[in-house]
Amino acid sequence: MKFPKLFKPFLVSAALAIGLAGCSAQKTTTEEEASGPQKAENQEVNIYTARHYDADDEIYKKFTEETGIKVNVVKGEAEELIERLKREGESTEADLFITVDGGVLANAKQNGIFQPVSSEIINENVPENLRDAENNWIGMGTRARIIAYSKERVSPEELSTYEDLTNEKWKGRLLVRSSTSLYNQSLLASFIELNGEEQAEQWAQGIVNNFARQPDGGDRDQAKAIAAGTGDIAIMNTYYVGLLANSEDPEEVKVADSIGVFFPNQETNGTHVNISGIGLTKHSKNKENATKLIEYITGVEAQEFLAANNFEFPVNPQAQKPELLESWGEFKMQELNFDTLGEHNKKAIEIFNKTGWK
Amino acid sequence: MKLDLMKRNLKKELNGWWIISLVGAVVILLPILFIFSTIFQEPNENWIHIRQYLLSNYVANTLLLVGLTGTFTAFLGVSLAWLIAAYDFPLRKFFRHGLLLPLAIPTFIAAYTYRTMLGYTGIIQSTLRNEYNYQINPELLSISGIRGAVFIFTMFLFPYVYMITRAFLESQSTSYIENARLLGQKPSAIFFKIVLPLARPAIVGGTVLVIFEVLGDYGVTSLLGIHTIATAIFQTWFGMYDVNSAMRLAAWLMVIIMGVFFLEKLLRQRKRYHLNNKSRPLVPVKLKGMKGIGAFIYCGAIFLISFLIPFIQLITWAKMTFTKVWESSFFTLIYQTVFLAVIATLIILIFSLVAANVCRSHSTFSFAVSKVITSGYSIPGPIIAIGVLALFISLDQWLAPIYKSMGLGEAPLILSLSLVMLVAGYFIRFMATGFNAIEVGYEKIGMKYTEASRMLGLSVTKTFFKVELPLIKGALMSGFVLTFVEICKELPLALLLRPFNFETLATKTYQYAHDEQIYEASISSLLIIGISILSVVIIQVLGKRVK
Repeated sequence: MKFPKLFKPFLVSAALAIGLAGCSAQKTTTEEEASGPQKAENQEVNIYTARHYDADDEIYKKFTEETGIKVNVVKGEAEELIERLKREGESTEADLFITVDGGVLANAKQNGIFQPVSSEIINENVPENLRDAENNWIGMGTRARIIAYSKERVSPEELSTYEDLTNEKWKGRLLVRSSTSLYNQSLLASFIELNGEEQAEQWAQGIVNNFARQPDGGDRDQAKAIAAGTGDIAIMNTYYVGLLANSEDPEEVKVADSIGVFFPNQETNGTHVNISGIGLTKHSKNKENATKLIEYITGVEAQEFLAANNFEFPVNPQAQKPELLESWGEFKMQELNFDTLGEHNKKAIEIFNKTGWK
Repeated sequence: MKLDLMKRNLKKELNGWWIISLVGAVVILLPILFIFSTIFQEPNENWIHIRQYLLSNYVANTLLLVGLTGTFTAFLGVSLAWLIAAYDFPLRKFFRHGLLLPLAIPTFIAAYTYRTMLGYTGIIQSTLRNEYNYQINPELLSISGIRGAVFIFTMFLFPYVYMITRAFLESQSTSYIENARLLGQKPSAIFFKIVLPLARPAIVGGTVLVIFEVLGDYGVTSLLGIHTIATAIFQTWFGMYDVNSAMRLAAWLMVIIMGVFFLEKLLRQRKRYHLNNKSRPLVPVKLKGMKGIGAFIYCGAIFLISFLIPFIQLITWAKMTFTKVWESSFFTLIYQTVFLAVIATLIILIFSLVAANVCRSHSTFSFAVSKVITSGYSIPGPIIAIGVLALFISLDQWLAPIYKSMGLGEAPLILSLSLVMLVAGYFIRFMATGFNAIEVGYEKIGMKYTEASRMLGLSVTKTFFKVELPLIKGALMSGFVLTFVEICKELPLALLLRPFNFETLATKTYQYAHDEQIYEASISSLLIIGISILSVVIIQVLGKRVK
């Protein structure tokens, strides 16, 4: 979607105006630290990331300390950054694209913004099921979408699978956030892949029928609603349980203490996980540095740091998990090709809209 | 001979002003046209799905939200403006400025703050629970849904209406109101028969800004679980990966908004709003006894809810997380935020002055131009961002031969990796705040000073600097504050259009808030609020000194 030729003359005048308008802005900032990547020295790597975590910044810092390679970052929304990469095409300065969620990674792959990474170290660091089939992107951490339950009112024996959540017995007791959440979209997309469209739609309808209230707030809010007695069980991410348990607010810690974490579908096809991943961009100009950074992030040290500070399950099996994650024990992960999440995302949204999952 | 010369001069200068506004309008128009170009594309299946399942419901929600918020903000804004402009009561002077402060709190931060505060772990419920062992029904305190969104938008956006209406009443309505008072009219009659009709452009101008903000909002509505047209736009893009359908929706949204504008314009077409008295400040009447206390309580309650309570709450959270979150890089963030906002605001104001001056001719064409250049405000930020991004990347590709000859490499991205792109984004998005304020200023003074000055032989440009500029100084200052504060708070454009390693306070706030870490987000939120307050204070002081 380029600008039609008709606009060209306008572009000229626009260019002039903007050039004039922006001159002052540009000059001053390039002297400051906002300067973009420099061409002369190649000791750098440029990242577009949809992950906004302090822990990530720390890892980049450590990487720079160890290798002398400078890391430049633009943080944004995943879909916007994909759009930006697409439009920049061959000219792009970005070497890596990082985001949360397999569906988005699959979508990025489909948009052709990646190229395969080849590195023995990476292949060793990350098991095959946590990478793209052609290494277009590499997993860097996962979060499990689990069932949180009230320790007071629910015993874990009552829980079994995601499918069981549509059972009559949970009527008016189930909490889950809005379908606009990517996490819910990927969850339903995985069911479309594993159980078929029809079953998935029935599932969504069953969940809607059991709502304790209309979807409201984020994942943390679902945990709080359990504590408040609005509902008894909630679908949420382990990551947010970790955040609550480590909150500065004692009231939030109490909430975390009052809920239990249950990994569903252990007897069947495994618990759904959200994966964060890194991909090498197709037109990367610093391929070597970028590969080094992926190797570093998937290495034991960085993986342990991420797990301890960001409550994500490490992708590297050698990495030690922190106490909280360890306390949940090992669990069986849903096995599927992440590409399918991207394929089914649209269908998932259609089902949400049809079934009235707000 | 002399007359001929004058005519020629006049023509020349008029053209200069026109050209500047046209060029600016083109810069604004290109990305918007880009968004519009999607309207004519064949609808795909996503669009059909949207229409089938979502559109009617989302449109209904949007109308309800806009209608209620518009009504309440207009009510609050006008009533407060009238009280403060026309009456004197305890702490009036304080409220006069204090009631602008809610604008400094980004609405999504306000929503998060109130939500958390009223939520299960918030101060109210936890105190009741821990001290009195009483668990209140959380639904009672819930601010979710339309109810909550109307509350948040009203409480944190009413200052737009208040500010513009008050400025108008204080300086422009004096003789009418004083005459009515002399003639023994009751205050209610003065209000309904004189103030409301006179202040209509100001009220409409302020309310329109509020409505724009509500239409483009995604942060508050998605947090509070309301699906509006903006939700549909984002779901289409972020969920169905269909940018084109998303832009199409945004384009239709704009068409509707423009329609509303023309309707309003038609309705007040033949009425002239610039008043022919000397602008003499209105002398407030002292309210005695219970009436004074009533006015005080009304203003006080609104100040408390819309500023003090969330502000104090943010401070306590900031204390809680200070050691964890604070780092020296916050100084860089402050510097970058202020620097960027000042540059962008100045550019917007300079252009607004030129364009508003040109648009005073009240022809349909100038009306259209003025609506086009302010329409950026009504489009959701991310959609504008895509338009700007597309424009700048095309521009870079198109300028590639020049870059190459300058030795910058094969097809590099220069403009689109610099702050120029972000500044241009702000320019497009926030013309409305600058332009509307200045337009009201021009409407207030009317044409008579300009005409007199021109008759006496001053050129357009000289008239502008010697006559008009001093007269609209006040409008210029409120335009500056509004735009500056908006840019400090702005998020979606900063997120997508910034160069490498560039953070603002708003993006820092988002980093935490996005992840449901409102406590951690409080420090950067407070810094945004602090900078905004400071800007208001500086402008006030400067304003006094210039007088």
